[in-house]
Amino acid sequence: MIEVSNLSVTFGQAQAVRDASLTIPPGARIGIVGESGSGKSMLGLALMGMAPDAAQVTGSLIVDGAEMSGASERDWRRLRARHIAMIFQEPMAALNPLVRVGDTVAEPLRIHEGLSRDAALDRALALFKEVGLPNPEARLRQFPHEISGGQRQRVLIALALACNPGLLIADEPTTALDANVALRVTELLTDLSVRRQMSLLFISHDLAAVARATTEIVVMYGGTVVERGPTDQVLNAPRHPYTKGLLAARPRPEGLRQGGVRRRLPTIPGTVPPLEKLPPGCRFAGRCPVELPQCAATRPPVVDNAVCHLLAEGGAA
Amino acid sequence: MRRLPANLIIGGVLVAIVVGVAALSLVWTPHPENAMNIRGKFAGPSATYWLGTDQLGRDLVTQLMASARNSMAVALIAVLLGGSIGTVLGLLASAIGGWVEDLVMRFADISFAFPTLLFAIMLAAVFGPSLQNAILAIAFINVPVFARVARASANQIWTREYVFAARAAGMGRFAISRDHILPNIAAPVIVQATIEFAVAILAEAALSYLGLGVQPPESSWGRMLSEAQTLMYLAPQLAIWPGLCIVTAVLGFGLLGDGLRDITDPRLARER
Repeated sequence: MIEVSNLSVTFGQAQAVRDASLTIPPGARIGIVGESGSGKSMLGLALMGMAPDAAQVTGSLIVDGAEMSGASERDWRRLRARHIAMIFQEPMAALNPLVRVGDTVAEPLRIHEGLSRDAALDRALALFKEVGLPNPEARLRQFPHEISGGQRQRVLIALALACNPGLLIADEPTTALDANVALRVTELLTDLSVRRQMSLLFISHDLAAVARATTEIVVMYGGTVVERGPTDQVLNAPRHPYTKGLLAARPRPEGLRQGGVRRRLPTIPGTVPPLEKLPPGCRFAGRCPVELPQCAATRPPVVDNAVCHLLAEGGAA
Repeated sequence: MRRLPANLIIGGVLVAIVVGVAALSLVWTPHPENAMNIRGKFAGPSATYWLGTDQLGRDLVTQLMASARNSMAVALIAVLLGGSIGTVLGLLASAIGGWVEDLVMRFADISFAFPTLLFAIMLAAVFGPSLQNAILAIAFINVPVFARVARASANQIWTREYVFAARAAGMGRFAISRDHILPNIAAPVIVQATIEFAVAILAEAALSYLGLGVQPPESSWGRMLSEAQTLMYLAPQLAIWPGLCIVTAVLGFGLLGDGLRDITDPRLARER
């Protein structure tokens, strides 16, 4: 069980994450979506105690009953792998080219559980089987360059699972993979979460993957949570103007042609401003198509899981 | 397969010769070491004495072979000792950072200010001239060299994503240094070790020349040079042969080190 309340990650004047709150019950599968710079990866790193040194992290983070705000690196290290584990976007870069993948997975087991090399490799083998690596015995002794991208991501998933974490954070786990490998990795993550009763925090801008993998979605923009709710509800009946814009911008095979006329792919006008230039109120102010006069200056209230002035006024975005 | 650079090949051959001769001296020399034949002193090359004899009638080839062995042994011990300590210090500096890193690097700066010879003379003045002190002096000079190389290389590796992933897997900085950083800095450290081997051979020769290195009755190219010095007009070959040996060994290890760097450092390879 992980409870995040009012978590902020600040770099000098720039707030990469502002007052994010999130409860992750055991076995929950939660997606965090948003474009680059929305703070979704930074939120994931903050949960691991791995925000960059230059960042100031404030707010409360309770992991399995332990308050982690202000925890030392040593405390974090005890928590990583065993309570919260993480997989990354680039499966090639995340594996040491000079270490056999079996040893990469065995290392944390030897450190955290004091296993011998052989015992740790046996466990690594079991994990390789669990994540569906073909020919797992042979894989143990291979180097990262000898296996494919999808297999590397499976190795990293095995590494993350090694110490039976309660939560797995997957930071854009499928972005570097091609479509059908990505699909299978997404299925694997979902499957593992269900089988192990392990929570999954699926960070992605791939809405299709998130839709498949999660039961709940958190939409972030400019470091703030703008909307959250059950996955199908958010994707089918979005309430926040940003979520609507994001969903409308999805390319759809049938959507490009309407009434015989080619239609341009809808976009959200403008770009995400630099963090230090975000408006103090609603971060989406300035790009929002239905902006009200108070939006840029004052923070919007929470209305039925969406955070928006317009909804508070009774309007529909 | 890319063609191997010429310096690697030439260096490799020279090193193989020197090391081979040094190894051979452990089991075989043309004559027993230090066997004298006073009546046959200053002999020219012959079937018995291939390069002739010295002022005490000792076989020159035997002397040169024993010297090669002593020189290799001194350089090996000194570079291994200084190199391991330096590499560990560099790894620690990189892993811990902060004041530890500053301390190690300032120590390196300070010890760079001492020339090897001066330092060895200082050690000899305090503890008396001995082979052990010569080795310690050469090893000591190697510590900051390796500390710098290891730290600079390690700092680069620390920014890699697999190190980040290892941290995410709950590994501490010392475990990461051992399992992830060390294998990845092995190449530059080995290259440096090869080059420092050449430097160590030269330092040993210089110290032995000054009487601060290899002590009698063990022979050394440096000692042979200093003994031959007074006989330069009488028997110049006694100085020329050990001189050539020093050049061969130093050049060999130097070229080998350069060659290894060329094939292990992709940035340099692209420039060629």
